[in-house]
Amino acid sequence: MDPLMHNNQQLLNRIGLQHIQAAEQARQRQQFLLALPFMAPALLLVGGLLLLPVLYNIWLSVTHWQLFAGKDDFAGWQNYIQLWSNPYFDDALANTAIWVAASVVFPLLLGLALAMLFRQMPGQEWFKSLIFLPRILAPTALGVMWYYVYAPEGMLNQLLGMLSGTAVQIAWLFEDSLITPAIILAFVWQSCGLVMVLLLLGLAALPRDPLEAARLDGAHPWQVFYHITLPLLSPTILMVVILSVLAGFTVFDLLWVMGSSYPQQRTLSLAVFMYFEAFQKNSWSFAAATAMVIGGVVFAVSCLQTMLQARVDRMVR
Amino acid sequence: MKTLSSLEHQLIATAAIPPAFRWSKALCGLVLTVLWLLPFSFVLLAMFKSTEEYAASAPLSLPSGLSPLLDNVRMAWEQGDMAQSMLNSTLYASIGASLSVLLAAMAAYPLARLRFPRRNVWFLLLFAGTVFPFQMYLIPLFFGFQWADLLDTHLGMCLLYTALCIPFPVLVLRNYMQNLSLEIDQAARLDGASELTVFRRIILPNLRGPMSAVFLLQFTWIWNDMLFSSVLGNRPGTRSIMNALLVFQGSYAQSGPNIMLTAAVLASLPTLLLFVLLRRHFMQGLRV
Repeated sequence: MDPLMHNNQQLLNRIGLQHIQAAEQARQRQQFLLALPFMAPALLLVGGLLLLPVLYNIWLSVTHWQLFAGKDDFAGWQNYIQLWSNPYFDDALANTAIWVAASVVFPLLLGLALAMLFRQMPGQEWFKSLIFLPRILAPTALGVMWYYVYAPEGMLNQLLGMLSGTAVQIAWLFEDSLITPAIILAFVWQSCGLVMVLLLLGLAALPRDPLEAARLDGAHPWQVFYHITLPLLSPTILMVVILSVLAGFTVFDLLWVMGSSYPQQRTLSLAVFMYFEAFQKNSWSFAAATAMVIGGVVFAVSCLQTMLQARVDRMVR
Repeated sequence: MKTLSSLEHQLIATAAIPPAFRWSKALCGLVLTVLWLLPFSFVLLAMFKSTEEYAASAPLSLPSGLSPLLDNVRMAWEQGDMAQSMLNSTLYASIGASLSVLLAAMAAYPLARLRFPRRNVWFLLLFAGTVFPFQMYLIPLFFGFQWADLLDTHLGMCLLYTALCIPFPVLVLRNYMQNLSLEIDQAARLDGASELTVFRRIILPNLRGPMSAVFLLQFTWIWNDMLFSSVLGNRPGTRSIMNALLVFQGSYAQSGPNIMLTAAVLASLPTLLLFVLLRRHFMQGLRV
């Protein structure tokens, strides 16, 4: 044992360590009693309406459950196995993968380009707000709008007709190969604004010295961007990527508004599949298992973020 | 070493970029922004066209007159059953957002300013509400609301939206409170103030900025929500505005695109106005 520690121990014993510890414990207990009434309403609401349902959802996903028979026998993994062999689930999984990829790549590239463009530009506040505007509006209302943009007599076909000189009549939302890109375009249009604003905040917080040093040394703007700006910006980029993965993974509103009847292979995402199974087909346990799959992936991505964020922060500093 | 003044910074920054390049950048931004807002333009035009006119003309053509607007608004308002759902959404968004921000501030106070064992566990318990996707809440809430007779009631929807909006403000307000100096409340406590007084008189007045920022974010989120209303409040009397819009679109056979688009604009008008008037606060909310 460290002699200094030993001395301290003796000293503390002499002045009554036990007393101090007991007093500290009593003080902490008293502080906790003071804290509890402040936290109680929030804890009750969050516990009762969010955490308890999650537990119930876990239980539901391993039972056989019929709404009116009221049976809830333990079923083990059966719902999950059934899920795996369901052809619509495969479609939903594949579509969701496309959505995740598209909602990461396009908003990030476009948002980064917009952020670099609007940085240090006169009047950037206005441009920024206008690009951000779709984000404030409801996906449901925007879905209604895009539904008519993509109509055979809609705005998009009119513009294409004006450009090509011939009348264009494509039913964008009723062609199997066009509906997903069309809805993804609407999604990218809506989510770019947030990505751009977050990247601009990240850019504004960058240290100026390395950028100016490189510029004064005569580095080409591309070199500055690639070798200095981008690495320094990586914590913000990581945050944006994670946010986009989560947004793409749980996309629902736009698909539900713009897609037509279900189950329809093209516009089935995991969230749409779960909603359809639960609230239109009433196969509750099955839908609960789907929700568990969504929740599991979201949880894993959140954990990954915490891990990566720490690593990237260390790398930059 | 002498640090550069802001003017010198600006000189360096502008010297590096030739003016022609700056102008082309500004032009590029202008074109992009116009392109970005193009989808809105046909909506604005459609609002001034009657159903026959909309069907006969191209989407981006000017309307022949301004008079169909009032008719469109009236038809959208009546056929879409918007009066009731507008009222419902106003109730949900104002009660849900203000109550959740207040309760979150209360919960964040001891988490940031008092010392008690396992403080982080209590925080994580509250914060866990942001980790799970909404899909995990839907089915249990549906059964739970059925069991508690809260399905299709205003009370149930208000409680739900309040609970959903608590976790994020707890995080934001706790972080903010941790940065306030501890000395003021210690002084107040020595003077015999209770915790409630410290919270109400000293902490709350300092939280006005972040609280209004998160309030705006939560208000727009509740206003824009369609999912929870379509599961837990899907009756004409309790529908939220976005859910009503979805239902209206599902039955669009009777009303033309011009009326649907007018309804979508009417439904978005409140959040749009909030954003236009309080743009700075919205952006403040993203900073946290």
